[in-house]
Amino acid sequence: MMSVIRGIIILHLVSFCFSSETTKSVSMRTGNQLAVLRFEGWAISDPLTEFLTEELRETIRELGIFQVQDRGLTNEINIFYPRKKDYWACWSQECAIDLGKRLNVNYVIAGNIQKKEDNEFLISGRLFSVDMETMLNEFAMNSSGLTDSLLLEMKKMAYNVSGLPVPDTLSVGTDTSEVAITGDIDRKREWFKLPSIPTKIKALMMSTAIPGSGQIWVHRKYPGYGFMGTEATLGLAALISYYQYNKAWGGFEKNYDSYQDGTDPHDLEGLRPKVIQYAADSRRYNSFMKSIRGVAASIWIVNMAHAYLVAPSDDYFDGEYFFDLEYNPDVNQIQFNFNF
Amino acid sequence: MSIRYNSISIFSFIKVLGLTLVILSFSCEDAEYELDNPFDPSNMDLDPPALFFHPPEISANVGDAISVELYGLKLNPAAAAHLDIRYDWGSVTVDSVVPGPFFTGTNPPMEITVDEQGILDVFIYYLPDMDSDQSQGGTWSIATVYFSTISTGESELLYGPNTTLRDENNALVTINDYGSGYINVE
Repeated sequence: MMSVIRGIIILHLVSFCFSSETTKSVSMRTGNQLAVLRFEGWAISDPLTEFLTEELRETIRELGIFQVQDRGLTNEINIFYPRKKDYWACWSQECAIDLGKRLNVNYVIAGNIQKKEDNEFLISGRLFSVDMETMLNEFAMNSSGLTDSLLLEMKKMAYNVSGLPVPDTLSVGTDTSEVAITGDIDRKREWFKLPSIPTKIKALMMSTAIPGSGQIWVHRKYPGYGFMGTEATLGLAALISYYQYNKAWGGFEKNYDSYQDGTDPHDLEGLRPKVIQYAADSRRYNSFMKSIRGVAASIWIVNMAHAYLVAPSDDYFDGEYFFDLEYNPDVNQIQFNFNF
Repeated sequence: MSIRYNSISIFSFIKVLGLTLVILSFSCEDAEYELDNPFDPSNMDLDPPALFFHPPEISANVGDAISVELYGLKLNPAAAAHLDIRYDWGSVTVDSVVPGPFFTGTNPPMEITVDEQGILDVFIYYLPDMDSDQSQGGTWSIATVYFSTISTGESELLYGPNTTLRDENNALVTINDYGSGYINVE
């Protein structure tokens, strides 16, 4: 009975967690993880460089070809391996691939934005494959405007990186026209879209539903599997205890009913010790289950807090879910997927 | 449609947490019982090995047929028994006596009854077989006495002083206690 109730709760949580992600049904994602390193700015301000890099990330993410690692995770490399700011001028193949491996992604984009003259900028970018340890493509674009023009160029670069043709309107339009174009490509059913949930909350909810899943989702796999394995072991022990308890309880009920209804002294004399024995067994297994429940609940709560703490405190992490409900057009069905 | 994610998240989180706590606080039932069946020999306040009447109290109307089992409680193995039963012969009469399973082995027991003015003597013998010369003992019915009620009144059932059990060597089998019975004819 406990397992049935838990199954219902998990299903409920899963459906809620992914209700805001139903637009995945039309996604073109290939499952490839991509990290966009912060572009190096030459003669332009840091905030503008960061803003343009984030614009590139967002556009690539919206195009859906790559799964773009969140800014928070990408920048974590700076926490673990603090270096000077020019570390981000990671222009060489070795440097980019080394960073890609540390970030556990399949592709890395590195680049820089140079100010040539007053209103002329050169944006250069390189796409590296971490798995193949090679540079796949190199892009360079000139911009003659300031912010708006740079934004356009970053969007064009996103199309190039994703291997998609740059729309004509994007080439000649203004910033306003781009929004419409992006909306056309997105093909999302806006009327059904729920507001996005922050990564920390989402990780917390996932770990609440399935212990460790939130950690796995934010790429903390070892703690995640640890929590999952521990809870699974405790669950198995509880299941075995419950089976034993159920057996003892069944014996108790059967013999106690017979004892209460019985009239033959010989039968009653035989039933009495059985009732006592089964009652003692059921109490023992119930007590064991309560102990397991207490331990499991404590670990569960620690797991929830841990998931919340280790999740990046950023905008909206776009990683691969540990479990996922996704529409598969090939079989015209909604499928439940696990990603180990 | 304007929905703030914070509201949704917090509401759902509280809902999930509440459900989780409900599940966690749910536990299996502990076995509670009372072994107070009046026919349970442990509740008869007898010191075994003992003989008692089952049921100990009977209410009946005039003309009814009733039966009482002569029961042994934790008796040692025995080969024969002489049960001296005292009853109110003005209120009930003995119709028949049927041996119970106590002396029943491979062969059915041999039984002799003598009923004389309120004294019923029941002689029961274990018939030896290839395995044993006596019963295995325990808590079993030795015999069942069938009465008919003939007039209103209260009749007490007692084991008389001649009641004895003997084993295969003709030695007396210890009986520590005797129960009594009660027949109320209305």
